[in-house]
Amino acid sequence: MKALLKYFLLLLIVSKLHAQTPYPAEPQQKPVLITGATIHVGNGQVLVNGAIAFDAGKLTYVGSASGAPADKTKYDVIDATGKQVYPGFILPNSQVGLEEVSSIRATIDFDETGEFNPNVRSLISYNTDSEMIPAFRFNGILMAEVAPVGGVIAGTSSIMQMEGWNWEDAAHTKDVAIHLNWPGTLKAKFDFDTFTRTFEANPDYPKNIEEINVFFNDALHYSKLVGKEVNLKMEAMQGLFSGAQTLIIHADLAKEIVDAIKFAQAHGVKKIALLADDQALKVVSFLKENNIPVILAPVHRVPSKDDDAVDLPYELPSLMVKAGIMISLSHDGMLGLSRNLPFYAGTAVAYGLEKEEALKAMTLNTATILGIEKKTGSLEVGKDATLFISAGDALDYNGNKLSDAFIVGKRVILNSKQQELYDRYSKKYGHKK
Amino acid sequence: MKKAIPILFITLLLGKQSFAQETFPRNDVRDLRGGAYAFTNATVYTNSYIKIENAVLLIRNGKIEKVGAGLAVPAGYTEVNLKGKFVYPSFIDLHTNYGLPKLEAAAGGGGFSGAEQIQTKTKGPYNANQAIKSEYNASSEFTVDSKTAEKFRASGFGTVLTFRADGLARGTSAIVTLGEERDNVVVLKDKAAAHLSFNRGSSRQSYPVSQMGYVAVLRQTYLDADWYSKQNSKPFKDLSLEGWTATQSLPQIFEANGWLNDLRADKIGDEFGKQYIIRGGGDEYQRINEVKATNAPLIIPVSFPEAFDVDDPIDADRVSLTDMKHWEMAPANPGILEKAGIEFAITSDRLKDKADLLKSVRKAIEYGLSETAALKALTETPAKLVNIQNKVGSLSAGLEANFIICSGSLFEEATVINENWVQGKRFPIKEVDNTDLTGKYNLTVDSKSYSLEVSGKAGEYKFKVKITDSLSVDAKSKIERDLVSLSFNSTKEKKNDLVRLSGWRQGTSWKGNGELASGKEVDWKAEFAASLDKKDEKKEAKKDKPTIGDVIYPFTAFGSKEKVKAEELLIKNATVWTNEKEGILKNTDVLIKDGKISAIGNNLTTAGKTIDASGKHLTAGIVDEHTHIALSAINDAATNSSMVRTEDVIDSQDADIYRALAGGVVAAQALHGSANPIGGHSSIIKLKWGAAPDEFKIKGADKFIKFALGENVKRSGNPQSVRFPQTRMGVEQVYVDAFTNAIEYERKWNAYTALAPKDKATATAPRRDLVDETMLEIVRGKRFVTCHSYVQSEINMMMKVAERFNFKINSFTHILEGYKLADQMKAHGVAAGTFSDWWNYKWEVHYAIPYNAAILNKEGVLTAINSDDANIGRRLNQEAAKTMKYGDVSEEDALKFVTLNPAKILHLDSQMGSIKVGKSADVVLWTGHPLSVYTKADKTIIEGGVYFDLDKDKILRNELEKERARLINKMIDSKKAGAPTQKGQSKQQEEMHCEERGLEETNFEN
Repeated sequence: MKALLKYFLLLLIVSKLHAQTPYPAEPQQKPVLITGATIHVGNGQVLVNGAIAFDAGKLTYVGSASGAPADKTKYDVIDATGKQVYPGFILPNSQVGLEEVSSIRATIDFDETGEFNPNVRSLISYNTDSEMIPAFRFNGILMAEVAPVGGVIAGTSSIMQMEGWNWEDAAHTKDVAIHLNWPGTLKAKFDFDTFTRTFEANPDYPKNIEEINVFFNDALHYSKLVGKEVNLKMEAMQGLFSGAQTLIIHADLAKEIVDAIKFAQAHGVKKIALLADDQALKVVSFLKENNIPVILAPVHRVPSKDDDAVDLPYELPSLMVKAGIMISLSHDGMLGLSRNLPFYAGTAVAYGLEKEEALKAMTLNTATILGIEKKTGSLEVGKDATLFISAGDALDYNGNKLSDAFIVGKRVILNSKQQELYDRYSKKYGHKK
Repeated sequence: MKKAIPILFITLLLGKQSFAQETFPRNDVRDLRGGAYAFTNATVYTNSYIKIENAVLLIRNGKIEKVGAGLAVPAGYTEVNLKGKFVYPSFIDLHTNYGLPKLEAAAGGGGFSGAEQIQTKTKGPYNANQAIKSEYNASSEFTVDSKTAEKFRASGFGTVLTFRADGLARGTSAIVTLGEERDNVVVLKDKAAAHLSFNRGSSRQSYPVSQMGYVAVLRQTYLDADWYSKQNSKPFKDLSLEGWTATQSLPQIFEANGWLNDLRADKIGDEFGKQYIIRGGGDEYQRINEVKATNAPLIIPVSFPEAFDVDDPIDADRVSLTDMKHWEMAPANPGILEKAGIEFAITSDRLKDKADLLKSVRKAIEYGLSETAALKALTETPAKLVNIQNKVGSLSAGLEANFIICSGSLFEEATVINENWVQGKRFPIKEVDNTDLTGKYNLTVDSKSYSLEVSGKAGEYKFKVKITDSLSVDAKSKIERDLVSLSFNSTKEKKNDLVRLSGWRQGTSWKGNGELASGKEVDWKAEFAASLDKKDEKKEAKKDKPTIGDVIYPFTAFGSKEKVKAEELLIKNATVWTNEKEGILKNTDVLIKDGKISAIGNNLTTAGKTIDASGKHLTAGIVDEHTHIALSAINDAATNSSMVRTEDVIDSQDADIYRALAGGVVAAQALHGSANPIGGHSSIIKLKWGAAPDEFKIKGADKFIKFALGENVKRSGNPQSVRFPQTRMGVEQVYVDAFTNAIEYERKWNAYTALAPKDKATATAPRRDLVDETMLEIVRGKRFVTCHSYVQSEINMMMKVAERFNFKINSFTHILEGYKLADQMKAHGVAAGTFSDWWNYKWEVHYAIPYNAAILNKEGVLTAINSDDANIGRRLNQEAAKTMKYGDVSEEDALKFVTLNPAKILHLDSQMGSIKVGKSADVVLWTGHPLSVYTKADKTIIEGGVYFDLDKDKILRNELEKERARLINKMIDSKKAGAPTQKGQSKQQEEMHCEERGLEETNFEN
């Protein structure tokens, strides 16, 4: 009877696919045991012929297959011999759930008016029915740091899971970071006749910094101020000074990076992360001395200057890691292409980064930067059972083929509209898959 | 105020009376004085190479009467003794807007944002395109502008060509002198030259908005003017075309502003039998052979860039190698032009300060320009280019008395221009009394004696007073003509001891009155005692020609001194993906010879180079069926832009070319953008990094054109758009209309061609129309359509329209809903060039799926994966690999998506796309499996030439670093030596592609 019910449920899900995003997963009912797989722990370790078990959403065993729990009847057992297990990838600084179709304004929900918006929280806009979500998890991205965009302080981000009935349900950790867009020392000027952009000094740079200075200064003193009125913006900043939240600084040029980080330190910010491209390399010793982790711009991009080595964006992760910097990989540009995050890691490997280091840049490092490393980011006992099984190397195109994925123990549906359309038209033409 | 007007009027008249024309009313008695002067004892250059010592130059009535050695001074002539002075013809500037009203700056980018301006806004019966202003004559608005004239004269100019810099066709210019007579006297020649440019000026009409469009509009205007002029009864009035036709016999001056545009301009001229005089950009040395081949005389600026401020290494990082090298080499440009035998004139245009002209020219001389060539470029050549050598440009009888008097030989550093004579009138520039005042003098003030030493040179003398044997003080001095004032402290303490003297020169001495600190008035004198010790004066060493770096091809990072040449290469022991029925061959040798694949097999040998390819994979080179790299512009904005051609704007300098080579790309279709249903002609190119733009084109390749459907062409991203079409329904009508017109066009021409010779003689040929011609090529199967498309309805429509006109669409690009009608596409016989996984950036791609290529391929549609943007274009092998993840495509088929299939789509498969004996050696050697994320292109080979090589790339990086370091040090030295610097700033060409960021390339918002 139960099996029949399951069957009907499945039928319901399948038939709903074309109209809706997939059915959200049910909480884990029964312990799961995965055996025989190569397990990429996410902290640099690899377990060949390993086993992994989890119950009630938490990992209960990670180790060799031989040492796995003996009584398999208690578990739903997945034989993953020849397959690979990875922690769910975490996509930082993403607008998933806040943007659907970028050219349609009504579907964009990430850029609030005003310059200083720490009180604006991304999770409120997070649309669990976004079609982006199943497409991302199809490639192994199971969590994202969903962040607002725009202004000087864009707002506060949260860690969202790639599934859920609503934003509360999908929120893994609320309000983890505040995003600061550091002003530019340069101003771009565009010439339509030559189709070139020229840069000149931004005369307002000192003024721009002073505005930030006043804001941070007021926020820093707010908690001790006697007889104050409640100020939502000031309240929203307090996590930075207690260390509960990370300040993610978006800075473009090397000098701006140093300016911004020194500024944040001087204003009592406890946890600082930088989001930057190869300009970070110019001040890498500064970053190292100050222990600043860096979220890197997309690996798959065109070098920003004609004189840059053609593979500078590809090699950057490896160069940063060699310099002793903790890195995380991210995406920007066309949101749908975030699903290529695993291949960014793959490319970083092709250009010198050790494979498990590359994996860390999508898992444990990212979790650490965002302050969720105690709960997730690697496959260690007691942490979340957020993981997936791939037929092969998840960092390469022909290996990234997921058979199973779990978010906090919940088995998620991997196929969605894109696969349903594939099925539908294969059927139309009588193609065998 | 009222009273002031007549006074001013009188002043004006007085200033202009000497050669006033008879027709003008007089307000006084007749006062013609003839202006007869004899300049004697000068060194006169009558032109760039004839120098007469001790010459006499006679002028009268504003004209040169005679020049020569030993001429007698006629009675009544004012003799001007120019002993020690040099006289030259005054300079001529062929690029000025002197005396014309200021143009109002046109606002906005135009074309892409806001409501489009479809029609011209020029009132009156003028050209349909607002940028064609060939009816305009500069003389109609010219008036003397004393303030500007003074600046020109101060730098040695006597005559200028002035034109209005507005539009692609700018009308005619006038030759005017820089005198201050009536406009009637100053204008030497009306309609001196016709002017063209690649700048639409004040027009904001929505076509043309790109370099491609500028070329097309000029080409069409040639055709229109020809047709219009042949109509006995004009179908409509077009004063611009009439102006165009009337000015064709004049010199045609094309403002191109740089070698790339110099070449583009010349090509238009070649097509219509015109040899333009090209206003260059000063960077011609970067492609001197190609520039020479244009045969165009040039007008070049000498505004050499300032060094960049590179003291701070982080700031220095943003200055590109191109800009640094240009800083170093720009002063050598004139000399390089001279050496190449290119005729050129020098303009002062773009100099920050016209007063720097001589300084700049002297710098060019230091960098290798000969003095003769410099003088020629400032005088004879400009005169000759605009046919005014019988008026100005040299000093001979009958010419305008336009000359400059200099303190010495013109290009010596110390030389200044003393006077500039324009049409026989003297304009003093810099009076310098050359009497040598240096020496030792006995100075007596009151009764006290000092010794005074005067050193330095005219204009900057230094006075030193020896008070006692142990105390010398510097005296403040001022010399004006024969008057002198001096002041100095007369004691060691420098308190209450100031001696102030004022006096005049008398013979070799000075005398006058003074006042002591006490207030006592005294007499003083200074008597010449002895000359200065000559040994003390340092003779300035003749400057050596500066050493400069090499020209590299292209002139940017990763360019090389040597261009790539075809080699004989044996690739040994590779895994060879043949793309033929042989499939993948392991441990196989491939021999490349004479640019072709000459053998495939085992144990091959070679006299050339052997490459050990063990563990490596060899595949056909990647062909990108859809790119926008290597182009200076990609979108024009007319609904039907089929008259524009991307081949007109190939940019061989684009860094993305090298980046694509590093990703294994050998060939590409460089496409027009997607702003319009019918876009421009494509360029089918090979990525021959280092070659000139024209060498990129694949000879004999079939002709292609871009079409586009959907949101971009109906301007969905621009809510203010008024341009037809605004719906997919309208888009269909654009095509039906265009093809219908083309067939009608063909009928008209056929009827005309079929006329009997007798009838033809009296008939006029139909108007040639570049749009109709292109559309007809399509209908008649001579040009092939690549159509940007998304949703199934529009794809279906496009095929139906083509079928209605009995031709086939060659390929759909983007085609993200192709999977929905793969069967219909197969039936039509159209190919697909799609993206691997682009999706949901617009509504029309909401149903895009990454399985598209797999489904199309399986259904039997010829399928390719292409890039559209420079980023994806450098990893196309990996884009293809995604089809193995999405749709389980076999690895051989996946590779074909980016090699053989796009070669087929572009009709290039007979020469490339597979590894087969006889095909062009356009191949890539990969470090590993070509579809893996971990693999790099090791060597990218085009026609046997290695255009990218991992090892060579390392060398190039090393060279780049060294060259940058050398230039940075040089700039720092130049700054230390006091040269001005500019802030480090980099120019960056926008990356262009059809999609992602809204609409076309003009939308930069994230």
